[in-house]
Amino acid sequence: MNNMTAIKFNLLEINLTTGEKQIHDVTADMRRFVGGRGMGAKLMWERLPPDTDPLGEQNILYFGVGPLTGFLGSVVNVSAKSPLTLRAGTSNMNGHLGIELIYAGYNAGLLVTGKASKPVYIYIKDDQVEIRDASHLWGKYNVAAQQALRKELREALDDQNFRIATIGPAGEHLVRNADISHDFYHHAARMGMGAVMGSKNLKAVAVHGTRPPAYPDPAKLYKLITRFYHDARLKKAQDRRWGHNISIARRYYATTEGIKNKQLGWDSVCDKTNSVILEQQYKVWNDGCNLCHIGCKVPSMRRHPPLGPTVAELRHDNVGGWNANVMVGGFDEQMYLTPFVDELGLDSEDVSGVVAWMMECYERGLVTREDLGGIDLTWGNLPAICELLKKIAYREGIGDILAEGLKLAPEKIGRGTEKYAITGKGVAITSYEPRGSMKDAVDLAVVPVGELHGERGGEKWMACDGLTTCGFLARPLEAVFGLHNFAVEALPAATGWELDLDEWKNMLQRLRLMERCNCIREGYVPTRDDVMPDRFFEETIYNKYGEAKILDRETFIREREKTYLAFGLTPQGFPQRDQLEKLGMDFVVPVLEKTLGSW
Amino acid sequence: MSEPTQPETKELVLGKGRQGWGAEDMPPPEKAGLIQTRWDKCVGCGACEVACAMFHYGVLNRELSRIRIFRYQLPLPKSVQNVCCQCTEEERECQKACPLDPPVIHYDEEKLHMTVDMDRCLGSSCAECAAACPAEVPRFYPEFHDHSMVCDLCERDGVRKPQCVEICPHHALEFMRPQFPPHLERIHPDDKAEYLSKRLYPLPKDKVQHPPEDIWGE
Repeated sequence: MNNMTAIKFNLLEINLTTGEKQIHDVTADMRRFVGGRGMGAKLMWERLPPDTDPLGEQNILYFGVGPLTGFLGSVVNVSAKSPLTLRAGTSNMNGHLGIELIYAGYNAGLLVTGKASKPVYIYIKDDQVEIRDASHLWGKYNVAAQQALRKELREALDDQNFRIATIGPAGEHLVRNADISHDFYHHAARMGMGAVMGSKNLKAVAVHGTRPPAYPDPAKLYKLITRFYHDARLKKAQDRRWGHNISIARRYYATTEGIKNKQLGWDSVCDKTNSVILEQQYKVWNDGCNLCHIGCKVPSMRRHPPLGPTVAELRHDNVGGWNANVMVGGFDEQMYLTPFVDELGLDSEDVSGVVAWMMECYERGLVTREDLGGIDLTWGNLPAICELLKKIAYREGIGDILAEGLKLAPEKIGRGTEKYAITGKGVAITSYEPRGSMKDAVDLAVVPVGELHGERGGEKWMACDGLTTCGFLARPLEAVFGLHNFAVEALPAATGWELDLDEWKNMLQRLRLMERCNCIREGYVPTRDDVMPDRFFEETIYNKYGEAKILDRETFIREREKTYLAFGLTPQGFPQRDQLEKLGMDFVVPVLEKTLGSW
Repeated sequence: MSEPTQPETKELVLGKGRQGWGAEDMPPPEKAGLIQTRWDKCVGCGACEVACAMFHYGVLNRELSRIRIFRYQLPLPKSVQNVCCQCTEEERECQKACPLDPPVIHYDEEKLHMTVDMDRCLGSSCAECAAACPAEVPRFYPEFHDHSMVCDLCERDGVRKPQCVEICPHHALEFMRPQFPPHLERIHPDDKAEYLSKRLYPLPKDKVQHPPEDIWGE
């Protein structure tokens, strides 16, 4: 394997202020901070001073891809300083955008800086990179804008394989939990990446490529893929039938899914959203991402009046929040609500947390009907929710405050409503109910950027983000090859690096520490911030079988400390100084010393 | 103590290779055969493209593939395959359209698949075959080599074993003797998408979601 030459990693930087385009060679950085998530953390560290305004011109927007993007899923990791948490942010999106970036020749991703003076979209076809006028797209809904742009580019080129990521009206109005949408149902939803894109006046990114990188050992990669397909055929096969909707029902019965803004442990509404119903009544076909054997997207449709016809993709992440946390039970309603939220360009998960919080405040009389602009925001009231969502997306009336997200809005409203905002570091916790599982609680809490999804900070997710394969493939990969074995087999074949298991683990640790250091620089104190809302420690809920569920604070703190140690951190959750030096990350030490003193 | 020799679950369900999914009812054809595309099953993973390029050129590059995936939004995302269906003689528009004599792109009667005389092909500047094919199947990738590419059913030494069919994790491709109506196979991917979009009736293909005002407005 010594005769393999390592491939080059090109990062395309587009400055929207000046219109300048540059291609950076970031091979060295990619070798150390592997994948889009690690590169994003490194870029944010280099480019963002600690007091950057997330919605200002200095913020960056990085569409990160990595060495294995396009093999086993095609992850794009979007990184920017988050307007929601006011710290470093990161969000994953699948689909086919990543593979197009790779084929276009930018195998370290796309970095957008500056701010355009008028609405624009970025057009990338191989070497041809243009900043084009998007005034005709501005104001359009997400999917509508995608359709319009696809049609336009197709007429010009007779080429329909452009992949397009857009923002909706919410992103344009700088709603802090706006998302970036791609191909109808792939979203870089969390942490307000759409607002960052909107703040740059960037409506869309359209990419098509025809030149893949010269992988040093394609035969080996192909062999790994075919073996994986063969052996993993039955792994995650349930996702092929039901998509990721399957996990919802399981989570309700395990009391790990939030109900009524986390007030209940079971409600009859839970049984209305069962994936079996979805498959039998609504599913249309399967769809998936690049080179994935599962195809876990289950697009669905309802036809009948008064709401239809509508199409949607209902998985755990978007439906979980609406289904029971807001008490909109049943697929008929969600089949309307989900595409509505997607079209407006809001993060379903986060905004459902905002709505649930408002509903509880309304029920308790902390917020009146006049405050809400005449909306009768009772639990599960679909028309009322839609009205409120429109207000949020366009920042009208109370929507202007709610659009600030769960970190800033509760302070603005006051009146004791802060207590009912179920959030971690500003990110709404909606699809998870930590009281059912201490592991869930700790996994959610220890992610420095915010309480995103399950085990985002854990070993498996970290490895998948490093490889830039889909996180849902962690388990099949583990079963067929062993996740780390796969990494040390596949990464050298795709990049030409010489890699052993230790070095791979070091890479992952660098990724983890870089993300953490970014947040620490911006004022993150792990033991203070890695907490759960008081409700989870104070209010007991009962599951379907009457079992009491509550978190014990002391156990939580003990488990959290154990997790820090497992992550190779100090018991306080800070990086170990000697480890930083060992991993060649000395450059963070002076900055951390300034923030933390000698830790 | 010896372990009881139980077949693995995988083997029980899948059988050996492709057996067990009904494939044994459709054995590989001995005479004329084609790659039957099942559009409804395609999830658009693109494994077939990779397999094709790997078999023919030893690289991972979908642009060098003779089978291509087209991805649509109807408005639901849907992918369909586009591959040569080894037409009969009177249907073979590409062969008729080729300006050279004998035609560069032609059906090999011995080996039972389409083939291209690479040395004589005029390349992408001509592209008459692609223009004539109702499905626009023949394609060019001048960056690598400038001649027409068309499905040869991965024939080597008289054995036809299409690699795309072998790899497809969703059984959306089948190598079989012709038995389906050509008007569903010899069509442009756009038309395949059009057929599939009718599943979404009454949602029109080009319309996205209904605007919310339609329903909740006064």
